[in-house]
Amino acid sequence: MKAVLHILEHDFRNFFRYKWWLVGLISMNLADLFIMAIVYNRMLSSEVIEQIKSYFDFFAPGLAVTGLFASAFMIGREVNMERRREVHQYMLSLPMTRMELAIGRVLSGGLRGMVYMSPLLLTCFAFLGPPNLWQFLLILVILFFLAIGISGLSIAIAVSTASLEKFITARGLVYYTLFFCSSVFYPLSLIQELGQEGRFPMVLVTLAEVNPLSSGADLIRSFLLGNPPFSLNMILNVLVFSTIFTLSAAVAYIKIIQE
Amino acid sequence: MVERDIRLFFQYKFLIIIRAIWFVSQIVLFGLIASRMISTEAVHDYFRYYVAGLSVMTLYSAAIFIGFDIYEEAEHGVFEYLLSLPVSRRQLVLGRSIGGGLRSFIYVGPLIGVSLYVIGSVNPLSFLVSLFALFLFSFGVSGMSITIAVMIKSSDRFDILMGVLDALIVRLSTAMYPLAVVQTTNPLYGGVASFNPVTYAADLFRWGTGIEAIITLDNPLMPLLGIIAFFAFFTFVGVIIYDRRIEGGGWQ
Repeated sequence: MKAVLHILEHDFRNFFRYKWWLVGLISMNLADLFIMAIVYNRMLSSEVIEQIKSYFDFFAPGLAVTGLFASAFMIGREVNMERRREVHQYMLSLPMTRMELAIGRVLSGGLRGMVYMSPLLLTCFAFLGPPNLWQFLLILVILFFLAIGISGLSIAIAVSTASLEKFITARGLVYYTLFFCSSVFYPLSLIQELGQEGRFPMVLVTLAEVNPLSSGADLIRSFLLGNPPFSLNMILNVLVFSTIFTLSAAVAYIKIIQE
Repeated sequence: MVERDIRLFFQYKFLIIIRAIWFVSQIVLFGLIASRMISTEAVHDYFRYYVAGLSVMTLYSAAIFIGFDIYEEAEHGVFEYLLSLPVSRRQLVLGRSIGGGLRSFIYVGPLIGVSLYVIGSVNPLSFLVSLFALFLFSFGVSGMSITIAVMIKSSDRFDILMGVLDALIVRLSTAMYPLAVVQTTNPLYGGVASFNPVTYAADLFRWGTGIEAIITLDNPLMPLLGIIAFFAFFTFVGVIIYDRRIEGGGWQ
């Protein structure tokens, strides 16, 4: 456990080296909320207004999840860089087991995501009203699992790609697919409608339904806005995603750094 | 200088691929789904409206990239080599500005082709005028990027500033929504959007592609003049600033 804490400390120190970059990223996120979402509010169709009431309220939870995703994914870039510069030889020489090292990296990626997301989540609570204590705890736990899963996904991609360019390309593909095929920016029902009309591939509709980003954003919405209604599937989707990618990241990380 | 900058840009194959993926996914995923959300009273055909704005957003972000090249060169000592070449400082700066604008235009060319396919109809004469405006816009953005890069002389600060500027300049423009809606939402946002080069470029591109039915552009001359002023300011003032700042090093 102590070894894992050292890894956490190491990764958090690295994270805060980019403090100005983080400030820039948060301001971009806030610009999305306080400019784009407010203007979109004025352009919604009556059917969508009936469903979500306000785009600002709808988008605020989605933005918190977007921030969580972007920051938890950052660990992958560092792991990829360590692999290319062979820093992992030094990591292997440290007095800790391979499993502690791998778990520490996945955990720190997730925790960094939670730290980055907190101001966005607080903004969300400030404008939409706070949840009750149990809802708050459940939101935190589920978002933490989501962050760990994202961190695991990014590490799995980072160790499977030999160059930074390939990592960035793979990251872009994952980013855009998961962001745009989710309910982060728009209600899931719109994607389902397009699928039923044959204007959107059903495989992408299914992806949007099981997408953990949709589940994370909808979980917050269900507690703060009451729509969509809370469903156990939201929790299940995140837990399955988190378990798969935490395990695959740990296995891939151990395997690659020992090569 | 122009040739060198164009060659340099096309070495970033993965960047080009990732931008193209971003562009296509914005159209086939975000554009398609978001257009379902928007009232036809606010924008008659939001999908086509958004695709046209997306081309201008992509052109903007490709033209900005020249600033990052300058930091890369400073870091690797290439800057001193460029200064030792038998070209005047002004030729060097002008060449960079034109190269930066031209390469982003070459890159965005096929993407504009995709946009035109999606949008459909084109009015040839208006389209040529709008293409000319986009040329000037991309030179102006390159000039702006070079000016800011040489004034700041710190890649970290530049990275942050360009990120924030990108967030504000694109969102406070008509790239994603009509000016009338922005003005109704917030007079301050509307004020900024009215004097924003991205607004001018996006409106002129929509006018050039013949989709006037979904824009609110009464007179294309005003945005065209705005683009010319933007281009002139950042190309010529940028040359002077660059000329003064490149001597003496001091890059972080």
